[in-house]
Amino acid sequence: MKHLKSFNKKAKMLDQTTSPDQVEEVVAMQTIVGCTSTNDPGWEVDPFGGLGSLCQPMESDLYGCADACWWPAQVPDTMSNYPEWSQDVSKANEDWRKLDGIFPEEQK
Amino acid sequence: MNNNKSKHALLSVSALALMGTMLTPAASWAMDGEKVIQEKCLSCHTRTGNPETPYSRISQQRKTPEGWQMTLQRMQHRNGLVLSSEETQAVIRYLSDTQGLAPSEAAPFRYVLEQKPNVVEDVDPAYKEMCARCHSNARFGLQRRTEDEWKELVNTHMAIHPTTELHALARDRRWYDIALNETAPKLAMDYAFNDAAWKQWQKMAKPKLEGSWSVAGYMPAKGDYSAILKVVKTSDNKYSVNLDGHYADGSLLSGNGAAQVFSGYEWRASLTIDGVSMRQVMAASTDGTSLTGRMYQSAHDEIGGDLRAVNGSAIVGLSPSALKQGETSEVTIFGGYLKGSVNLGAGVKVLKVLSRDADRVVVAAKASASATVGMRDVAVGATKAKAQLAVYDKVATVQVSPPQSLARIGGNGGKIPKVQSTYRALAFSAGKDGQPGTDDDLRLGYMPATWSLKPQNEVAEEDRDVEFAGTIDSNGVFTPGDTGPNPQRKMSTNNVGMLKVVASVKDGDSTVEGESDLLVAVPSYIKRAIQ
Repeated sequence: MKHLKSFNKKAKMLDQTTSPDQVEEVVAMQTIVGCTSTNDPGWEVDPFGGLGSLCQPMESDLYGCADACWWPAQVPDTMSNYPEWSQDVSKANEDWRKLDGIFPEEQK
Repeated sequence: MNNNKSKHALLSVSALALMGTMLTPAASWAMDGEKVIQEKCLSCHTRTGNPETPYSRISQQRKTPEGWQMTLQRMQHRNGLVLSSEETQAVIRYLSDTQGLAPSEAAPFRYVLEQKPNVVEDVDPAYKEMCARCHSNARFGLQRRTEDEWKELVNTHMAIHPTTELHALARDRRWYDIALNETAPKLAMDYAFNDAAWKQWQKMAKPKLEGSWSVAGYMPAKGDYSAILKVVKTSDNKYSVNLDGHYADGSLLSGNGAAQVFSGYEWRASLTIDGVSMRQVMAASTDGTSLTGRMYQSAHDEIGGDLRAVNGSAIVGLSPSALKQGETSEVTIFGGYLKGSVNLGAGVKVLKVLSRDADRVVVAAKASASATVGMRDVAVGATKAKAQLAVYDKVATVQVSPPQSLARIGGNGGKIPKVQSTYRALAFSAGKDGQPGTDDDLRLGYMPATWSLKPQNEVAEEDRDVEFAGTIDSNGVFTPGDTGPNPQRKMSTNNVGMLKVVASVKDGDSTVEGESDLLVAVPSYIKRAIQ
């Protein structure tokens, strides 16, 4: 790494994540039950333990997560489990109010 | 596949199916779960020929009631299984009782059954990258499978969630070989199907839960409470329950409902308390002397608190649980049917008994200025409890509980509700060495506090997270902001944020502060009985 120099903003942020304190924060947030620890870019927190590298607003890229089954515990995967979850909502960034959560039938 | 089960998000998840049929006639309970399995499940599953484990796949696993509930939901959602509500209940009942978890097996992961929010797990590195990127440790820690069954689970993941490959870091390692040849065998050892604990538990006499219980609990925005829980058996494993008591401020608490017990000790109750639908998830101790767990709002499982019940007459708590040297205060002793004189220990004088109810005794008490710092046993007549009341010199530190927390934006006309977070201020005095933060610190219990928010870091300050991400009220209840893109924020960012929750506790003329981290995140669109 000593021969490499951070070139853009994201790379500089990467360099800044090496302090143990920050690593600890990231780890804690990733492991709250219910959060994903797949952080590229992350659903609750980004790889740096912050919010700056998340897709924001998330509605703009929501189907990029759903169609690719990317966070199957947080976002319904339309690839195999819930193909019709978003079928009536073509633009999540406009019609996000129409999107429902997934709750199994028995839990009515 | 056209069986998307998208449901309105106002429903709570935990134990709902388990509760659903509690309201059905008792006759439906007579349904034979094993018969339903034979009639409905054997169209795909096969008979093994081994009477010990008669059905393929089904008989090689053990799970909690919620675990079996999720299995049946998946079978209905994905594999075309059609079961009536009664049949579902009968199968959950049968499998929980015959292929459940022993109390000791479920003990490390009860928080997830209790829907306890803001739990930070310490996951074994072997499971961290393979399983816990999506699931809680509790999700697999509450299952017992043979090694072949754990291997089948790897393949099920590949079939259902092909991107498992990427989550499991397939770009950097031979994840499938590791999953099959390292992770599955380790799971089979750590969470073994043939663990002796279950066989032993099956042979043991099960706790009898009828009777009156002395209860102590906590409910956000309401406070500590005491109550009497009356449990009457209505049929096998089924009970009617009444909960009547007081919050520490004297206001009444009253409700009733029904409970079921699975696997001989897993208590699941559904009650309406003062007009609010509540659920209890508790475990009976193996000797039947106590029930411990959590009670929470059905519609918002994050709003709830710990609950402990002791069979019969007992002292189960104190509010407040600490007196400052020289202080005079009302002290409420939580406990059922307490009779006799009240003793709060050396240096603490009971000035007057202010009231007595079935669930509590309220006294005026004074700690002398020279009372030694430390814990006191408390007695009411012949009923005694160890180390209930602390006498302290001053508050040295305040911890905000929970130390790490998560809230989720929601509402705003959408279908996903906000997920709040709630806080309490836990105070300590410095102990004999006078140094806070050392082993001899004296835990004083939860204290009233004023609550505020501040940005967690420079970025949060620059992005004005405090302005957008939500508010905290005087009870320590944080309500996150509205969901949806916010045009007032940079790039229409959601109302997410990284905040610090600050508690300020008054101690005489001084104020002691504590703080904890709060992440306000985007909604989760999926909720499971076991996350």
